[in-house]
Formats: sequence, structure tokens, C-alpha cells
Amino acid sequence: MPAEFVENRRRAALEAYEAEPVPTWRRSGFWTTSLRGLDLDALEPKRYEPLEELPQIVKDDLGDEEHAALIVQQGASVVYSDVADERITVMPLERAVEEVPELVEPYFGKRLPHDEAKFAAGTAAFWTGGVFVHVPKNVQIEKPIQVVWLIDEPGTAQWAHTLAVVGDMSECKLREYFVAPDFEGQALHSGAFELYALPGAQVDLAHYQDWGRGEVYDLSTRRVEIRRDARVKWVPIHLGGHLTKQTLDIITAEPGSDMRHTGLYFTERNEHLDLFTSDRHEAAHKTGDTVWKGALTGDSRASYEGLIHIIPKATEVDTYLQTHSMLLSPKAKGDAIPSLIVEVDNVKASHGGTVGELDPEQIFYMMTRGISRAEAVRVMVEGYFEEVVQRLDDPGLEDLVRRRVAEKLHGAEEQVREFIGERAETT
Amino acid sequence: MTLEISNLHVRTEEREILHGVDLVVRKGETHALMGPNGSVKSTLANSLMGNPNYEVTEGRIVLNGEDLTEADPDERARAGLFMAFQYPATIPGVSVANFLRMAMNAGREEPIKVKEFGALLKENMDLLRINREFTSRYLNEGFSGGEKKRAEILQLAMLQPDFAVLDETDSGLDIDALRIVSDGVNAMRGDERGFLIITHYTRILEYVNPDFVHILIDGRIVREGGAELATELEDKGYEWVREEVAAGAG
Repeated sequence: MPAEFVENRRRAALEAYEAEPVPTWRRSGFWTTSLRGLDLDALEPKRYEPLEELPQIVKDDLGDEEHAALIVQQGASVVYSDVADERITVMPLERAVEEVPELVEPYFGKRLPHDEAKFAAGTAAFWTGGVFVHVPKNVQIEKPIQVVWLIDEPGTAQWAHTLAVVGDMSECKLREYFVAPDFEGQALHSGAFELYALPGAQVDLAHYQDWGRGEVYDLSTRRVEIRRDARVKWVPIHLGGHLTKQTLDIITAEPGSDMRHTGLYFTERNEHLDLFTSDRHEAAHKTGDTVWKGALTGDSRASYEGLIHIIPKATEVDTYLQTHSMLLSPKAKGDAIPSLIVEVDNVKASHGGTVGELDPEQIFYMMTRGISRAEAVRVMVEGYFEEVVQRLDDPGLEDLVRRRVAEKLHGAEEQVREFIGERAETT
Repeated sequence: MTLEISNLHVRTEEREILHGVDLVVRKGETHALMGPNGSVKSTLANSLMGNPNYEVTEGRIVLNGEDLTEADPDERARAGLFMAFQYPATIPGVSVANFLRMAMNAGREEPIKVKEFGALLKENMDLLRINREFTSRYLNEGFSGGEKKRAEILQLAMLQPDFAVLDETDSGLDIDALRIVSDGVNAMRGDERGFLIITHYTRILEYVNPDFVHILIDGRIVREGGAELATELEDKGYEWVREEVAAGAG
């Protein structure tokens, strides 16, 4: 018997979904994110049987790192799960709402209104499988909890929901991977992620997205709530996706909470990335920083908009936001927009945003030391990203990101060479 | 084994800066190139290394018989040419040690062994009186002027090129730093290496004694001689050379 609180939410969400038109997001300037190209009716949830062994693409990305738990959803079905650490609960959300409703209900959808947007409503109505992570209080988990979202074939609609609750004074590492092999055709990942870091908890959170060369649309909302004296370090990594429209929000909800938010993106070909992040400070005595760095090649478009929002009762807040975007091709277009809403005095908040290019003088300098142009570009871009990569503090994942960035740069070598040549001649 | 610059004409987008420079540096020799105008001297150094902001319109740069006039900067470096920059670029995210290793490996078939690299690095850091923390800092990021110059000479010492061009390495250094840098250069001098020291002042030449001195004015080499020419210049100044040239031409 499905839990009533879930069914009620599904019903209400379905109404909201059907009432809303497919959105187009516009901003002043050149920026529009449109789903015109997406043939939504041609997509469907695809079900799969459980797997004995991990798919190769998942193995390649995870490496041989040991985990506290690993759960894999392919299309609409959870196909693999292995919980090595018995102190925690990691299972399909579908199962959790039946087996441990008392753990799920207090948090389920708490920070994710079912009717806030078309695809948020769709996810609330249609999600299947799903992931539930529960770390009870006073538990320290060293090894990561890994969640994998896999889209294996075109025509897939993946409606995804992850709910994670980390108990009082507990510590854990949580990673979500979003991967697809290179395929021809369209797919949709419409995702909802919510994490509740309860008082005193310490969460090391990372999202790794690499949807490959297929036409994967990713429309997701991820929200993190940080309670009293809890700390969340969040590193989202975007390395691929045909069109991505995501909202990433951190809410420092109670005094003493602390957030570190450090993101990275690399777009290529005709990829379109539209990111909106917000740091919402709801209580006093909080600290936080946000740093985002991106690089663009090909005809790609990437827009990063970051908001710091400090509401009236949140005094004694100390926070900043920095965003940088590096253009590596003459046809790429990027935006970096930091903004600030401060409704109270006695806070420290600062922000800055830049869009730049590789400096030809730096490339020349390195080349005079015998280093090839391609290598010099790679080193410059890696050096630029290194601050973010190191924040992962996870050797396996760091290597994966470095390797993928190097591969993407290698693929873009010709255009970068032309671009730098062009720039140097016009200096 | 020589570095031969013949009839070198160089221009930027706006104008021609070098109007036919001839200069030959043989291995084992140290040449000083002096002149009143920094940008003209730096143009020569940058053209030798293939800076894309400068266009060679006439003439040739030949190193050990190999014509490098059209070569990319990295090919020139691998052929044995080095320049210590007046204003070196900052390389964020790359430590001094990692940068050195990368540069050394760029010119090798097999990467240098960790132990060998470590020993060589230590030896050269001692020579330049550089402390250990220095090598883990990002190259030139937040470096003082003196630290940048020392980092340049450290690269020179590690890379052991056939020919080294020092572009105003002495400017902006206090006397202690100048002495350290000069000691480093002197330790590198020998039969297997040639130096071209570009400077405005004669001060560094008191520590690094040149075999030949060339004076570059208005994009041409107007006087050449031995070390005594630098002394004469110190006494009489660039105006004296300029007037002499004008008189000679008239």
C-alpha cells in the first residue's frame, strides 16, 4: 500500500504539472534557455531488471574506491545497490516510504514545493525508484555514499528524487553521479535533490554530471538545508550535457551553520548550461563562501547566476560569492552574474564576477620553456580549475575530473590554438 | 656552435622597431647589449624567442646552424635558446617545482627521475640562496620583483640552455639580490654556453664581466667593443654615443 503522504503529493503535483506550460527562461542580453528542441512526448520512463554487475561506464567513473554504500538507478529503476556500512540506511525511496515512513515523512519534499515549476512538479508527480539516504545521529562514515543516475539509451525520461538526511553530529561523504554513454537521440533527466544536515552534522557533498554527447536535457533542482552548527561543503561538477537548467540552493537555516559551495563547469560543442545558485541565509551568525569557475569551448553557452540572499533576522553573516568564466573559443558565450539581496545591517557580504580569456602572454611564457602550446593551454586551464578540484578532497573523484578536463581540452586543441593565435595577432 | 642574428628587422602592429640588427654570439662568450630605450632592447629579446606580438619582416635567426626565424617559441627553447624575462608571467595553480619539472621534461625523451630532479633543484636553490618553501608557491604569484628574477635564473640553471638571453634581469634588484643573481650567472658561464645580457646599466657588468659590448640605439647597433666600452659608456652616457654617431653619419 503506497504511503498516503506520497500519493497526495503526487496527485497535487500532477495537477500543477498539467496546468503549467513548458517554460522558456529569458534574461536580459543574449540569454534564453528554451526547450523548443525537446520532444517530450517521445520520451518515456524505461524499466530495467536488477543487475548483477555494475555497467562499465559506472565502473570507469567510480574507479576502485571503496564505498559505505552504492546505489544505481538506470532509467526508471534502481538496478543495483550495495550497503557496506550497516549503520546507515540507503535504499530506493519507493521502498523507504513503505518500510521506514517515519524516517522519510518529516523531510520528504520539505524544501521542495511540488508546484514551484513545471518540471519540479513533473518530478514530484512521476518519480520512480528514487534514493533515500539516512545517516542516524552520532555516526561518522569515512567512505563515501555513492548514488549513480544512469541514462543508458535515447528515448528515456528519468524522473529522479533523492532525499538525504544526515543526523545530529554525524559525518559523511555523499556523492551523486549523473552519467550516460554517448548515444544519438534525446533523453530527459528531471531531478530533485534534497539534503537535510541536522544540528552539528558535517556533510561533504559532491555532484558529478557528465551526460556525454547524447542530447540529454537536465532540468533539476537541488536544495540543501543546514541546521544549527552544521556544515556542508558542496562541490558540483558539470562536465557535459546537451542542455542543463539547474537551480542549486543552499539554505543556512539556523545560527552557526556554515556552507562552502565550490563549483566547476566545462562546456563544449553546442552545449547549453544555465545555472542558478542561491545562498539563502535565514539566521544569524553564519559563514559561507561560493566560488564557481567555468570554461567554454566550441559554440557552447554557459550562464552562471549566483545570488546571496540575507533575510532580515540574519545578522552577523559573513559570506562572499565569486564567479569566473573562461572563454576558450571565439564562438562560445558566457555569462557570470553575481547578485546580492541584503535585507539587514551588520553583515559582511561581497561578490564578484568575471568573463575572461586565456592570456597569450602566459602561453608565450610557458612555450619559451619548451612546453608545447597545447600543453600550456592545458596547464593554464587546469591551474585555473585546481582551486575547485582540490576542494573535492577525494583523490578518486579529483583524478576523474582532471582526466575528463584534459580529454575535453585535447578535443578542443585546434580551436583553442586558432583562438589564441587570433588573439595574439590583434593584441 | 653559435647564435647568429643577421639583418633582423622587426615590427609591431604600429611600426618597425629593429632596423637590421646583426649579432653573433659563440658558445663560451658573454655579450652585453646596452641601450637607452627598454622597449627596443626587449623587442630583440622577444623576437629571438618568437613572441607573436612581434613580426620579423626581414633577416634571420640561426641557432647552431638551424634557422629558427619562423619557429614556434617552444621549438626555439628545445633547440637550446632561453630568455630570462624582464616581466615574467604569473602561472596560477602551478608550483615552481612542478613548472620546472614540466619544462625539463619538455626537452627530454624520458621524464627526469624524481631523485635526480630533487638533487639538481636543491643544488641550484643553494646556489641562488632560495629557501625551500619557495618551490611550492605558484610561479610568480605574489612574488616580489627580486623573487621573480631569482625564479628566472633558477629556471636558467635547471634548463641549462646553449644560449641564454637575460632581458634586464638586473633592473629593480637591490645590490644583494644583484650579487646573488650575478653569482648564479657566473656559475653557469663556461665553454658550453653563450650569454646575451641586455641591460640599461653598467652595474651588472661589474659582476658579470662581458667579452663583448654592443650599443643599440634607435633600432640599430651603433657601437661595438670589449668590456672597456661599457666603462666608457658609464663615464660619458648614452648621449655621447648618440652625438658620436650623428657626427660620424654627418
